[in-house]
Amino acid sequence: MGNKQTIFTPQQLDAYQDCTFFTRKEILRLFYRYHNLAPQLVPLDYTSKPDVKLPYELIGSMPELKDNPFRQRIAQVFSEDGEGNMTLDDFLDMFSALSEMAPRDLKAYYAFKIYDFNDDDYICKSDLEKTLNKLTRNELTEDEVRMVCEKVIDESDLDNDGRLSLEDFQHMIVRAPDFLSTFHIRI
Amino acid sequence: MRRRGTLKTGLLPGGNVALEKIGLTEEDVRDEIMSEEQDLVKELVTMSTRECIQAIRDLPMCMEDKKNIRNQVLASKSSKKGFLLTCSADCSEQISLSLRRCGVGLSSARQAVRLWQGTMKEIGGRFGTSVLSYFSFLKWLLMFNTISFLVNFGFITIPQLVQTSGRSPDVRFTGLELITGAGYFNQTVMYYGGYINGTKDSDFKYNMQLAYFFTIAAYLVLCGVSLIYSMARSFRRNFVLSDLSSGSAWRLLCSWDFSMVNERAVRQRKNNLRVQLKESLSEMMQTNFLPVSERMKQLGIHLCTWVVSAGLAAGSCAAIYYLCQYNLQQIKVSQNPGNLKEEASTLLLPFVVSLFNLVIPLLYSLLSKVENYSNPRFQIYVIILRNVFLKMSILSILCFHWVNNVTTNVPMCWESYVGQDLYRLVIVNFFFSIFGSFFGEFLRRIIGTRCMPSIGIPEFDIATNVLDLIYAQTLTWIGIYFSPLLPLIQMIKLFLLFYLKKVSLNRNCQPPRRSGRAAQMQTIYIALLFFPSFVGALSLVAYTVWCLTPSDSCGPFQGLNTTFEAVSLWMEDTAIISEFSWAVWIYSHMIKSELFFFLLALIFLVLIYFFWQITQGRKMLIILLKEQIINEGKDKAFLLEKLRTFQNLSLVPYHAENVHGPQYFERTYQTESDYSEGYQRGACPEEDTPPFASSALMQAMMARRQAEEEDEEY
Repeated sequence: MGNKQTIFTPQQLDAYQDCTFFTRKEILRLFYRYHNLAPQLVPLDYTSKPDVKLPYELIGSMPELKDNPFRQRIAQVFSEDGEGNMTLDDFLDMFSALSEMAPRDLKAYYAFKIYDFNDDDYICKSDLEKTLNKLTRNELTEDEVRMVCEKVIDESDLDNDGRLSLEDFQHMIVRAPDFLSTFHIRI
Repeated sequence: MRRRGTLKTGLLPGGNVALEKIGLTEEDVRDEIMSEEQDLVKELVTMSTRECIQAIRDLPMCMEDKKNIRNQVLASKSSKKGFLLTCSADCSEQISLSLRRCGVGLSSARQAVRLWQGTMKEIGGRFGTSVLSYFSFLKWLLMFNTISFLVNFGFITIPQLVQTSGRSPDVRFTGLELITGAGYFNQTVMYYGGYINGTKDSDFKYNMQLAYFFTIAAYLVLCGVSLIYSMARSFRRNFVLSDLSSGSAWRLLCSWDFSMVNERAVRQRKNNLRVQLKESLSEMMQTNFLPVSERMKQLGIHLCTWVVSAGLAAGSCAAIYYLCQYNLQQIKVSQNPGNLKEEASTLLLPFVVSLFNLVIPLLYSLLSKVENYSNPRFQIYVIILRNVFLKMSILSILCFHWVNNVTTNVPMCWESYVGQDLYRLVIVNFFFSIFGSFFGEFLRRIIGTRCMPSIGIPEFDIATNVLDLIYAQTLTWIGIYFSPLLPLIQMIKLFLLFYLKKVSLNRNCQPPRRSGRAAQMQTIYIALLFFPSFVGALSLVAYTVWCLTPSDSCGPFQGLNTTFEAVSLWMEDTAIISEFSWAVWIYSHMIKSELFFFLLALIFLVLIYFFWQITQGRKMLIILLKEQIINEGKDKAFLLEKLRTFQNLSLVPYHAENVHGPQYFERTYQTESDYSEGYQRGACPEEDTPPFASSALMQAMMARRQAEEEDEEY
């Protein structure tokens, strides 16, 4: 079990291990996935901490993400610049939060961020409408969309302010035991 | 929970210019955030290393911030350690570090060995989590059988093989034995009859009686404990905390399966979601009021179908019973027991049993189409209930036959006879599973795509397949006493079944249309595995051990009145040795006395009542807390509004642009006059208002700054 890899320094690898839910082997495997997205951009030596960002188009074309209706939001939430362009740190962070070892509260937090399209820390009606349209391919009528969104807010808004805060969302997640297994991307 | 991005001041929209307008500089905000960070680091330093790492992993921050915090924590931990004696601190640090590396290495090794990891990922990606649950269930059962086989093989079979290494059975091996289980296998260690208690004749000091009894007892207790544990944990997670009504909120926000990677599956899932939402909307609009005559008719139909299904189950039980009696008579009449034709005719019973198990559930699903259920989940529960009732009644008839008729009427080893019956049932069940898969999935796909396109591609029927697995596992558990190597057959069978079902799934099936509550169904399946299946098998084995006379001519318990007598005799022998008198005391006063069990049962009943009262109290507490959350929300809105009003009054020249920003809330409060100002609740403003203007943090900082300024003035 020696240090045969030269991509990261041992301290970097320890830091990644402590900050994500992955083991050394998985971190290296994820690094190779990241590298293979753009072999000419991503150097094989990260000991000097190069500043490399992969554009969103490459991330969104990964087989695990390309059919996901929320891939753009996922990339935006986890990227530093908020546009979807990800560094290796963001990449690892994203798959760590979406792995099966992540706890429910962390997943609920990120799911909330993903569904919060206008980034105002609340899921309001317009966010729900956008979520619904992404999930049903725009095939519901306007009336139906409005009724569903109203029903959702009725059911889950605990503090009655007309929109879902993080606490309302977490309360809903606690009562949905399937969430942990559905909010999960295998890589 | 700290919000991602608040540590990065660069992400504050509006930038410095907007901040200046409310009298704050970027430095102030940064200082505030830094002090929060320091508090977090202080909290983390006090935890142990493992808890600290777990807490860092759980932080909802970006990787750079997490690494930052981790470095700070490590730095302050090492600076604290620098004050202590270096040598011992160093050693303990090294030891804990190497232990942690060891643990990590072990967990990665365990992950590498995990069976079928890649295949399960593929299935989960294409078909979703509910179909994957069938395969996980199969893997879990495989684990049970592996442990059983290893334990039985190690403690019972190997000593027996060592003992009888000289002898060999005098019947020739023909291929038919693999299916009928009789013939060559009859005198081998496959069945109960092949084991002999050798302590009497040879000098080989292995008490086969005690080994046989205690191995099987220990395995069954272990199974029972692990089943209860899984069932309780699953129940707590999936039933107690969950909302029993499937609302739109759940469907919209929590049910999308992020692990699906197949484009066609995703498209189909979107269609299904749309259909479900439309259905739930139309339910909302439709009134549920049915006229009395309609309801009576529905009730009548339900009653009829229940009567018909009970009748079908009773009919099949009667048929099987008569077939069993016929088999026994054939044995009495038969001239030479080694006849091939007679051995083949023993296959008739398992064939008929499996046929009933295959055909009658199909009739049940036809019946359920006639009925009209308001709730589709209720329909699934009814179907499962009927199938379980059928399978368990067939098994009970078989057990009744074995226990009552076989023990007295079979001339040779009755335990081996029962073991062979079970072997045949397991093997024929396997063939029927293949057969059912072929007809249910392959042929239906051909019919659905070529001949009658209206039917379409079949879905993978999870309920039927899981019940089939539970049935086969019940047979294995019953058979452990009569045929200790039956788990091996079950293991091979499960292994082959996994690949068979995977291939059939990939080629013939489509992803399920309803995204049902997979977690709740999982709990129900585990509960079914425990309650009729394991408990039934355990009671049969217990009855056999406690009350039935072992056969005189074969097996390790020859000559005893009951199997359990072996333990009594052993206890009497150890009573002579004075060092073990405590064991003998425990045996005679606790295990043999009824008073002890009565008192134990009484204590458990009292505890159950006590915990039930605690649960009732907690329910009331939950209701009160929910009301409190609603009130807190109202308080928060009220206070934020007041703050905003005061800010507007005190910083009027700077606030011209921000007056349009803040949102107003409307309340119609019946009681409190304090809130009589009346707030307008509008829809969320469409344009992007600067979020920090309404952020509680900013408001609080502004208020604090104002208070400090007022203090300075005095």
